[in-house]
Amino acid sequence: MSIIRLAFFNFKNSFKSYLSLILSLAFTILVFFNFQNIIYSDVFVLLGQRNKDYIDMLIEVCLVVLLCFLFFFLWYATNVFLTRRKREIGIYIFMGMSNRKIGSLYLVEISFVGITALAMGIGFGVLFSALFQMIMGAVSDLAVDVRFGISAKAIKMTSVSFLCMYLFFALKGFWNITRSSVLNMIMAAKQNEYLHVKPIVLLLKAILGIGVLVLGYYYANKGSRYDTLTNALLAVILVIIGVYLLFGGLIPLVFQLLVSRKRFLYHGQRCLWVNQTIFRMRKNYRTYAMVCIMGICSVSALATGFAMRNRYENLVAFDNQYTFQFLSSQSNIAQTTEAILDGKCTVAYQSSLCALVADSEPLLSSYTDVQQMHLLLSYSDIVQAAKAAGVTFAFDEPANDEVYYLSHLVLLSFITNGEAEPVTIAGKTYRQTQRIMIPYLGYLQKELGCLYVVSDREYERLKEKNDLIYYICNYKLKDDDVFNFEEIRMAFDTIVSNTEENYTARVSIDPYSNEGEWIKALHSLCIFMFLVFIVASGCIMFMKLYNDSFEEIQRYAVLKKLGFSTETLSASIAHELATAYLLPFAVMTVSAYFSVLSLGKMMRADLFSVYVVSMAVVSVMFMLFCVLSITVCQKTLLFARDNR
Amino acid sequence: MNDKKVVEIKNLVKHYGARDFQTTALKGIDLTIYKGDFIAIMGPSGSGKTTLLNILSTIDKPSQGMVMLDGQDVTRISNKALAKLRKDKIGFIFQDYNLLDTMTLQDNIALPLALDGSAPKEILARTKELAAMFGLEAQLRQYPYQLSGGQKQRGAVCRALITNPEIIFADEPTGALDSKAGKDLLQCLCKVNENGQATILMVTHDPHCASYAKDVYLLSDGTIKCRINRGNDRKEFYNRIIDLQTSIGGDFA
Repeated sequence: MSIIRLAFFNFKNSFKSYLSLILSLAFTILVFFNFQNIIYSDVFVLLGQRNKDYIDMLIEVCLVVLLCFLFFFLWYATNVFLTRRKREIGIYIFMGMSNRKIGSLYLVEISFVGITALAMGIGFGVLFSALFQMIMGAVSDLAVDVRFGISAKAIKMTSVSFLCMYLFFALKGFWNITRSSVLNMIMAAKQNEYLHVKPIVLLLKAILGIGVLVLGYYYANKGSRYDTLTNALLAVILVIIGVYLLFGGLIPLVFQLLVSRKRFLYHGQRCLWVNQTIFRMRKNYRTYAMVCIMGICSVSALATGFAMRNRYENLVAFDNQYTFQFLSSQSNIAQTTEAILDGKCTVAYQSSLCALVADSEPLLSSYTDVQQMHLLLSYSDIVQAAKAAGVTFAFDEPANDEVYYLSHLVLLSFITNGEAEPVTIAGKTYRQTQRIMIPYLGYLQKELGCLYVVSDREYERLKEKNDLIYYICNYKLKDDDVFNFEEIRMAFDTIVSNTEENYTARVSIDPYSNEGEWIKALHSLCIFMFLVFIVASGCIMFMKLYNDSFEEIQRYAVLKKLGFSTETLSASIAHELATAYLLPFAVMTVSAYFSVLSLGKMMRADLFSVYVVSMAVVSVMFMLFCVLSITVCQKTLLFARDNR
Repeated sequence: MNDKKVVEIKNLVKHYGARDFQTTALKGIDLTIYKGDFIAIMGPSGSGKTTLLNILSTIDKPSQGMVMLDGQDVTRISNKALAKLRKDKIGFIFQDYNLLDTMTLQDNIALPLALDGSAPKEILARTKELAAMFGLEAQLRQYPYQLSGGQKQRGAVCRALITNPEIIFADEPTGALDSKAGKDLLQCLCKVNENGQATILMVTHDPHCASYAKDVYLLSDGTIKCRINRGNDRKEFYNRIIDLQTSIGGDFA
């Protein structure tokens, strides 16, 4: 029989046991292909080139993440496959086959697996691409008519990327087999001895793990103005190390302590599944840690998506507080603009107020090398403007040595604490007691970045020393009445001036602008990344447990021979596998909480509800995979034909 | 000798294969085992020893005949009842010990009682009692891979005894042991049998091993050819077994 025929024969006969590997690979290829397809199709061109560029850039970032994931996933999956095949094909040694021939057999067999996975991944990817684009459009709330398009370039790119990586790992396996000793291959099946770890080693690992993890949580939530990125990076590294140490130290230690308490252990199936869990933990703790970290990443990705979306909506609301705003040295600006606007549209609300420009020489902030313009507003004026806009101004009048800074929202801020620098105005130092993010003066707050609210008394005092006053005038037009926005803007452009006698600036916000549509796409991409990583985590757990179950067949055959009922053994399997899923889930739940909390601080958003929803989704996904694992493993261990 | 019948076999027949290519492994065996018996079944390869043991231990089903175990006909009860019967009434000792490598010797011994829902206090007491009886107290916390073959097999005997089964089926219990460990194990089995703690049916090809039993049945070609009783002298019993083996012929290995 030729190598190819023998490999095909093996592949056909063991197809069922390869199915989990093939499906997992196919799923990753499907997702990868769909992201590629979006880049190469023109589905988002309708959003404008700028948005399309942003979305393509985001998808490319996602593709890099997916490529990294695919690389590690292939590494893991081919290793599992190699160990399993080594045991089975090791037997060919006795048939006089050389290592090289056995390696070739492995290479051909794994190629069948890879090609099947690629064909399935692309096939289903093509079938689901319209659905994928539609869901992405719908979730992102983008105004795009989805056109079903398959890009040949996407198929080519996906196939080439996958096959290159796959071939690399297949050749690595081939090289491994050709260099393996005969004994090594034959003994691969027997490498199942319990490796007992001394409790003191576990204890040290556990203490170190807890310490590192707590330090990671601390850095994740440490508020800072300047070191946020360093802190975040430190937190990521520490949490990853901590999670590994937790699964390698604390959790086995707890289980070993439980096992030593015989009064606890000798209760029904506990004796069996707790011991089994410890045994598996020693072999699989890296897998559990990896699944846990992937889960934390996916929940964080989802929270980022929601936070960005939330922030974007707030930004839009912030900018759209007024449709037109004017800053002018002319005291009659209100009358001029009202005259222009008269009869052209309906004004929802309007306000006008004065801003005092103190002499720039003494008006220096603590950044003394920079001369900045500071516009001072009186408390009463800002309260009036807020009232006109229907916004509550929930701040008391500042004291005479205090100022409130009218700040603005940004998409992403790395400054997480609220400490503010004192401001020196006309030789007097004021404490910045509030950093107000509410758009009382709308887009002007963002545009000027130098608006301060002082008490009425302080305003009057400063006014006596400085006579330069600017006049601010705000209009909010009814959104459904701005059909002639361009016409009004052009009319206002006639009064814009930048001379010494007349300085008049105009700000206009187009309510129908779609400049930030890409943020919506980011939101849905984050949701997809979350789902991809969670499904991938489930796949890894399933694959590992399913693969392990083949090593357990003999053990369960003995237990059945000893007369233990199928119900008892089924319950023990269910407990063991449920624990295997529960442990990473529990660690993930705690770590993801801190991750989301830190993200919330950075994005100034309350992400607790996102955290709860994402953990609910994760728990449902894990539950589904857990039930699937239990069913399949029970079938393998208790009802296999060779297991009577 | 106790008159209580633990196992009663009547006209036991077992065929293998399809109708046209059928072979008969057991050809109408009758055997009664009483409480307190220690029986060894010997026979050349292919004589039907393993088939008989598999049917007695309810792992296999006969083609014909009756197998009564503690008053129940195992050929007529459901799989669930069979599993219960196996768990409550039968103890197993395998050639390759079959201890679970994932747990300590103590947990291995305790497992049947723990799964049966007995009280932890009772399980602990019983485990320690059996370990003391078989000289395994110091090994209780060790894992199977840390034990010698003899210790593992004695552990397996403890596990078989912990539920106080009606009968213990031992399949070549010394097959994987050196002569010293084998001798120790057989002495232990004799001891528990003489103390009235176990009725034992042992399948072996080793005359030395068989000489520890009270009765030896010689199986050949699917039928029981003869039965010999030990009497008082084990060495003389051993010689008689050897003579019998020689007269029957065949491969006893």
